[in-house]
Amino acid sequence: MSQAIKNVVIVGGGTAGWLTASLLAARHDTSIQVTIIESPEVSSVGVGEGTWPTMRKTLKLIGLSEKEFLTTCDASFKQGSRFDGWVTGDSDDSYQHPFASLINGASHDIYNVWKEFSSDRTFADTVCAQTEVCAQGLAPKQKNAPEYAAALNYAYHLDAVKLAKLLTSHATTKLGVRHISDHVMQVIGEKDEDISALRTREHGNIQGDLFIDCTGLNSLLLGKHYEIGFVDKSDVLFNDTALTVQVPYADDTVPIASETISTAHDNGWIWDIALPTRRGIGCVYSSRHCSDEKARSALETYLKASGSLLELDDLSVRKISFPSGYREKFWHRNCIAIGLSAGFLEPLEASALVLVELSAELLVENFPSDRSVMDILAKRFNESFIYRWERIIDFLKLHYVLSKRPQAYWQDHRSDMSIPERLQDLLALWKQQPPSRDDFLALDEVFPAASYLYVLYGMGFETRQKNSLKFLNKDEVIKQLQMVQQKVRTLTAVMPSNRALLTNLKKQYNAEA
Amino acid sequence: MTNHVALSKVEHKNIRIKTDRSVELGDGVMSCITVPNEFRNVQNHYPILFQLNAERDEFRLIALLGFTQGENLFLKNEKWDARYKPLAIEVQPFLIGKSSKDSSEHSVHIDLDSPKVDMDDGIRVFDNDGKPTEYLESIQAKLGALHDGYQNSPDYIKCLQKYDLIESLVMEIELIDGSVNRLVGFHTINEDKLNKLDSHGLTEMSQNGYLLPTFMILASMSNIVSLVDRKNALVSQG
Repeated sequence: MSQAIKNVVIVGGGTAGWLTASLLAARHDTSIQVTIIESPEVSSVGVGEGTWPTMRKTLKLIGLSEKEFLTTCDASFKQGSRFDGWVTGDSDDSYQHPFASLINGASHDIYNVWKEFSSDRTFADTVCAQTEVCAQGLAPKQKNAPEYAAALNYAYHLDAVKLAKLLTSHATTKLGVRHISDHVMQVIGEKDEDISALRTREHGNIQGDLFIDCTGLNSLLLGKHYEIGFVDKSDVLFNDTALTVQVPYADDTVPIASETISTAHDNGWIWDIALPTRRGIGCVYSSRHCSDEKARSALETYLKASGSLLELDDLSVRKISFPSGYREKFWHRNCIAIGLSAGFLEPLEASALVLVELSAELLVENFPSDRSVMDILAKRFNESFIYRWERIIDFLKLHYVLSKRPQAYWQDHRSDMSIPERLQDLLALWKQQPPSRDDFLALDEVFPAASYLYVLYGMGFETRQKNSLKFLNKDEVIKQLQMVQQKVRTLTAVMPSNRALLTNLKKQYNAEA
Repeated sequence: MTNHVALSKVEHKNIRIKTDRSVELGDGVMSCITVPNEFRNVQNHYPILFQLNAERDEFRLIALLGFTQGENLFLKNEKWDARYKPLAIEVQPFLIGKSSKDSSEHSVHIDLDSPKVDMDDGIRVFDNDGKPTEYLESIQAKLGALHDGYQNSPDYIKCLQKYDLIESLVMEIELIDGSVNRLVGFHTINEDKLNKLDSHGLTEMSQNGYLLPTFMILASMSNIVSLVDRKNALVSQG
């Protein structure tokens, strides 16, 4: 099967479709034609969304100006997540998972130095300066810093619909992506063959060598056409419904939070994503445990507590149902699913967009220039992403397993039956030793050991070490922890508030434009 | 307009100081006070000159930054285009003031009307606990150095006057567009008289540590050429 791959056809024009199209076009020369078919009938799901720091690299690679992106996509800076009420639900129950990487040193050293010298501080406050910067509502950089450069590692909160729109114009005018606005009527090709073309309503058959399914939960090519099965994980992650609202700020002096705030309730949790012009808030819950009315009242309570001037009745509430799980494979024959068509998990750690970026990156950097190598690459792609989906599920589950909340929903989350075996093993191990790089074998883990350390010790997990292991380099770790506190002092003095920086950058953009 | 008040960790807890440098932020000045204890750094970049006060009865020491009123040739893209900024520039918008009207104690004051003072943009002065930030600590150190130098300057100048070492300076500076700028009202060291200073004078100067700053003032005159270069660069940009 020797056949050059020249024509890539992407179906679906959401963020997944346009990000993939942009990355493909930006990283390859013009011998590859990228076409995107976007149905004028399907509207994208537009909630405020969080990204990972990887998005900075992605946008830079695509060739977008950060100021333009921030202004046109109503984006703000995100430096991590804060989890309120996840352990006990008490008013002082809060911990942070910042994007900052750990100080250098062996986990064993860092953990023990923290316990010995800094136990009055939280683990995160001990090992990084970012948590205090976030707590004070400060930005991750100063106004004159170069685009995409960070004093403190950061990602974005953004309006996904606006991002898709910006990428549409950028990809079509600057990157040579062909844009067809039409509805796909039929997939041409047998189930045990490659797809040869897509029949559209007005543009006839669109031929292609490689097809990318970015049709969202619809999964038109991989799910509907090839009938690739769905690995249901709702027995691990119970949430299946969300009520979402867009909440305006009381006035334009209210701080714009620089982290995603996730607040637990009796049957799920509530996301609060701060954009420059509004907050996107969503109440996630398990319909097996909780009625819509109960979820509504949890959302109502949260809105009041978080300073919204408007009540829930004044806002337009949208209900979204979603699955938990992923496809048995993502790349089948000459078809790859990227985005929600590949799977969906609750947005607890903003894994949706990063999976799009990682999928697109792996495809783009290892592009099958010929049909003969496609199956080899597909096999590798599938192995890699099944591992990643599984690790994300483990990590999301960790947030529930460590809770002490008494409600049935939370108790069910802690029942052994619902906890993946690998996570159970790791938790047993971590009772004896802190998480370390040795627990995570992939070269680029989606969630590295640092993330586990932040969540475990943020939630009060106890590691009781058998202390035969000596310190590797205690003095160096102590020195670094002192430098962290020095950094806190410097950064909290020089960093502008998140709102002030966003306002300034917007002004700079408007002045340049 | 100025509005000088004593800096208070209560009232000014949340203020920020914009550290960019521009005319809009009040940095458009053709000269600033300088003090002998910073000459070592100042003479690298700026001509050091004497200038009579408004009453024309006392000299003060200044670093020259431009040739006409309001012209500061060191402002470039909202930054200060030199490695060292004179203390009097660094400490803006802070100053030393008396703790109370009759007190001899001094404390940090701030000009609240300065465009550098802001609530959103710039560096914090106090942290959330009301403790001085590193920035304020560095300002305090610089104010201290400036204050010390300022206290000692009159004696130094008196000594120079005693030996008649200060002479008037008139310079005509021709720019590349043919225009001529006349620099008037400034004074410098009379090099001839310094060379001929008798052993008595030399001893007095040396014992008080006045020789070094005096030679630095002389050396700093070569910076007039680079100041002209800066001006020419502006002229040629149109």
